[in-house]
Amino acid sequence: MKRPLQLTVNDELRQVLVEPYFSLLDALRDELQLTGTKKGCDEGDCGACTVLLDGKPVTSCLVLAHSAHDSHVTTVEGLATREGLHPVQQAFVDCGGLQCGFCTPGLIMATVGLLNREPNPTLEEVKYAIGGNLCRCTGYSKVLDAIMTAAGDINGAKDQKE
Amino acid sequence: MVDFKVLGQSLPRIDALEKVTGRSTYTGDVYLPGMLMCKLLVSERSHARIVSIDTSLAERLPGVRCVITGKDFPDVYFGSGALMDRRIMARDEVFYIGEPVAAVAADDETIAQEAVELIRVEYQDLDNVVEPLQALEPGASLVHPDLTSFTGFGFAMGGNNCTMLDADRGDVDAAFQQADRIFEETYHSQAISQGFLEPMACVAHQEANGRLTIWASTQGPYQVRAQLASVLDISLSSIKVIAMEMGGGFGAKLRLALEGFPALLAIKTGRPVKLVSTREEVFTLNGPRLATNIYLKTGVMDAGRIVAREAYSVFDVGAYMGAGPNAGVGHALGPYSIPNFRLRSFGVYTNKIYVGSYRASGVADMTFAVESHMDSIAHGIGIDPLELRIQNAIKQGDTTATGARLPRNGLMDTLMAVKEKLGLPKKMEGGRGVGIALAEWRSGSGPSTASISVNEDGTISLLTGSVDISGSDTSLAQIAAESLGVTLDQVIVAKRDTDMAPFTGPSGGSRIVYSQGKAVEMAAEDAREKLYAVAAERLGVPAGALACGDGRVYVQDNPPQGLTLSQVARQSLTYRGGPIIGLASLSSMAFAPVFATQGAEVLVDRETGHVKVTRYVQAQDVGVAINPMGVEGQLEGGAVQGIGRALSEEILIDPDTGRVRNPSLSTYLMPLALDMPEIETVLVSVPSEDGPFGARAVAEPPGFGPPAAIANAIYDAVGVRIKTLPLSAERVLAALQGQTGDEARMDVDLLRQAEAS
Repeated sequence: MKRPLQLTVNDELRQVLVEPYFSLLDALRDELQLTGTKKGCDEGDCGACTVLLDGKPVTSCLVLAHSAHDSHVTTVEGLATREGLHPVQQAFVDCGGLQCGFCTPGLIMATVGLLNREPNPTLEEVKYAIGGNLCRCTGYSKVLDAIMTAAGDINGAKDQKE
Repeated sequence: MVDFKVLGQSLPRIDALEKVTGRSTYTGDVYLPGMLMCKLLVSERSHARIVSIDTSLAERLPGVRCVITGKDFPDVYFGSGALMDRRIMARDEVFYIGEPVAAVAADDETIAQEAVELIRVEYQDLDNVVEPLQALEPGASLVHPDLTSFTGFGFAMGGNNCTMLDADRGDVDAAFQQADRIFEETYHSQAISQGFLEPMACVAHQEANGRLTIWASTQGPYQVRAQLASVLDISLSSIKVIAMEMGGGFGAKLRLALEGFPALLAIKTGRPVKLVSTREEVFTLNGPRLATNIYLKTGVMDAGRIVAREAYSVFDVGAYMGAGPNAGVGHALGPYSIPNFRLRSFGVYTNKIYVGSYRASGVADMTFAVESHMDSIAHGIGIDPLELRIQNAIKQGDTTATGARLPRNGLMDTLMAVKEKLGLPKKMEGGRGVGIALAEWRSGSGPSTASISVNEDGTISLLTGSVDISGSDTSLAQIAAESLGVTLDQVIVAKRDTDMAPFTGPSGGSRIVYSQGKAVEMAAEDAREKLYAVAAERLGVPAGALACGDGRVYVQDNPPQGLTLSQVARQSLTYRGGPIIGLASLSSMAFAPVFATQGAEVLVDRETGHVKVTRYVQAQDVGVAINPMGVEGQLEGGAVQGIGRALSEEILIDPDTGRVRNPSLSTYLMPLALDMPEIETVLVSVPSEDGPFGARAVAEPPGFGPPAAIANAIYDAVGVRIKTLPLSAERVLAALQGQTGDEARMDVDLLRQAEAS
C-alpha cells in the first residue's frame, strides 16, 4: 500500500505516495520523474544512483524512500541554475570527464558531496571519494582531471570573493 | 599540413550538456502512459527438456496482463553469428542456466516479478558439458546434436565444434625443421563481461497502424530491426527502432538482445511494455566473452628471425555460436612478418551462456598469448624483447595474414615512443619490472551513409544512421564543420531512428569515425558542390573559383566577394537545383591498419603475489586525431579495461552446471579509480590513405596490450611466466612458490586429427 512521503528535492517541497518497499532511487525515478539519477545495479555497487541526502552522498538504491522523509535531497537535476552549470558540471564538460554519460550524474554528485565537505582535496582523497563509482568508458583519468579542475575553480572563485 | 579550424581541436562533446545535467534520455528513462513492466523467467537447468510450463497461477495474479512462453513465438531459428542455431526463447529444450523460458507483463515490476515466481516449469534433465576442451573429446555429450541441420553450417567439423577459421601460408613443417629453436606454449584467457553501466533495456509499443516502435539501447538499430522481424516473423518495415542514448556497449549491444520479449508482449496487450534487465541478468542473459585456450608453436633462428608459426585456439562459445572466435584467427601472428604459418581457431558449444562481442573479441585473447609468447622467445634465445619485436615487425608493403599488402602505418613510431618514454631497455630492482606488448587492429568498414542539409540560417543538419559511441557524433560533426567551414555549434546532429535515417552498419569494430566519417566527409563535399553551383550563378564566377570558410562561400582570389551560407541556402530554395542536400553512401573502404605499443611497469609483492601497475604508457597511431581529447579518452578507457582484464576481472563459471557464480559488480571486479595508475598516452599521427582527413580507427587496440604487457613485466620483475588470466595474486604467488598446476593444457593432436578426419 502506498504511503505519503514528504521530502525536499532540489529545494522544492514534494509530497508523493510511495510504496513502503521503494528505494529512494525508485521514488525519484518512478514517482518524481527525476530520471537523471541512474540505476546501474540496484545493489549499491556501481554508484550511478548517487545523490546528496542532507548534503552527504549516498547510493539512493540502498536508501528506503520513507527513511528519507522530511530530508533534503539533491539530484543532478538540482545543480545547474539559470545562470549556468555548477562548476563541477562545467569541469566535466571541459575536461572530457564523460563518455557514455551513464555514470556521470553519480560521479558528479559524489564530487559535489566531497567538495562540500573538503573544498581542497588531494588527488588521493578524490580517488577515495569516487571509490564507489564505477566508470567503464573513461578509465578515470579525465574524470580525475575534471574533479581537480572543479576544486581549483571553486577555490579560485572563493578567493576572488574574499 | 593543412590548417584545420575545427578538426584536431579538443572540443567538448556535443552531448556533454545533456549528460552532465541528467537530461539525456536512456531507454530506461522512457515512461509512457499505460506502460506495463516486463520480467523474465529463466532456466535453472544446465541442459534439459521442457516437459511442461504451467502459467495459470501467474495469469490469475491481479495486475498481470500477459504471460508468454517460447511457443508464443513463431517456430523459427535465428543467429547472432553466421549460424542460425538459436531461438528467441526456449521452446522444447533449455541449453544453459539463465536462458529465458517465459516473460510476464504486469502493471508494475513487483507484480511481474511475483508472477514470474508463480510459473511452474517441469524439466527432464539431459546430459551436459561445460568445459570446452572436454566438449571436443570423442564421446562428449552433444549440446546441439542437430548442428549439421542449422542454416549457415559449413565451417564446422560437427560434434560440438560449430566453426573453424583458418589461415595458411608457406611450408610450415619444413620451416620448423630448419628453425634453430622451437617454442611451444599454451595460454588461457578467462570469461569476461563488457561491464557497461547501463543495463540492457527496451520499451516496445504497437502503434494504431500495427507498426512496432522499439526504444532500444543498442549499437545496431538496423540489426535489431532485422533480427526482431525474423523472430516475430513480421516484415522488417513494420518495425521502427529508435536508438536511445546508450550507456556503454563495447560490443555487447550489437545485436538483438532482449527486445523480442517486450515486443511480443506489446503486440499481445496493445500497451507499451518496458523491460530493464537487472545487473544479474546483464551477466547471465546477454553474451559476455568466454574462455579461450591458445596453443602457439614458433620456429625461430638463433639470430631472432621468426620463420614459422602454428596456432590452435579453442574458443568456448557457450550454448550458441554468438560472436564466436570472431576476428581472432589471423591475429595469432601478431604484427609480425612470419613467412610460414598454419592458424586454426575453433568454436565449441558448451552448456553455458552464449558468447557475445567485446571490444574486438578474439583479438584481445590472442594478443595476450602472442605477446607473452614473444617475450618467452626473446628470453629463450637471449635477445631483448623490444629488439625481437623490431626485428620481426611487419612493414609497409609486407603481406598480412589475410593476404593484403600493408599500407603506410605508424607501428615503428609507436614502438619508439614507448621505448623512449619508458627508457628501454632497462633493468628494474626490488620486485619491479617492465614489459611491453604490441597491438594491431584494422579500421572498420561496412555500410555507411550520411545526409547533410544546409539550413536557411547557415547551420548544417547532419543525419546518419549510426549510434553515438564514445563521442562519435561529435567527431562526425567536426568532420562536417571542417568540410563546410562552419563552427561545431553550427552543426546539428539528428537523433535518429530506422524510419528516418538511411541504413548504416552497427557502431562497432572501430568503424564509425573511419567509415561513417568518410561518408560524412563525402556528403559534405557533395553539399559544397551544390553550394558552389548556386553561389557561382549569383556571383557570376565559375564554381571552380569558389571556396568555403567562416560560414561563407567566397571567391578564392578575392575573399571579400562572397555570400554567407545563409544567403546561399535561402537562394537555393528557389534555385532550379532545389534546397541543398549533400548525400553519400559507401560500403567498403581500403584496409587501414591501426598499431599500438603498450608498456607497463609493475611492483610485485613476493609475500602475497599482489601485482600493482605503477606506470602505464601507450602509443597508438591514430592517423589524425579528429578530437584529441576524445581520442585520449578512448585510449585511456580502453587501457583501463585491459588492465582490469589482466588483473582482476573474471566471470566465474561453475564447472558442473555452467552457472555464473559472480553475477554482480561486487564480485566481478572492474577497476576503480583507486586501482589505476596514471595512463600516459602518446598519439602518433601517420595519416591513413583513405580515412576522413587521414583518420584511423581508435577504440579497439588500447584494450589488447595490458594483459601481456603486465605479464611480461611480472616476468621481468620476479621471473615467473603466468599463462592464465587474470594475473591474480593467488596465481602469481603459486608461481613464485614453484607451482604450475594452473597452467593451461590442450591436446593439440586431438584438434589436428579432428581437422584431418
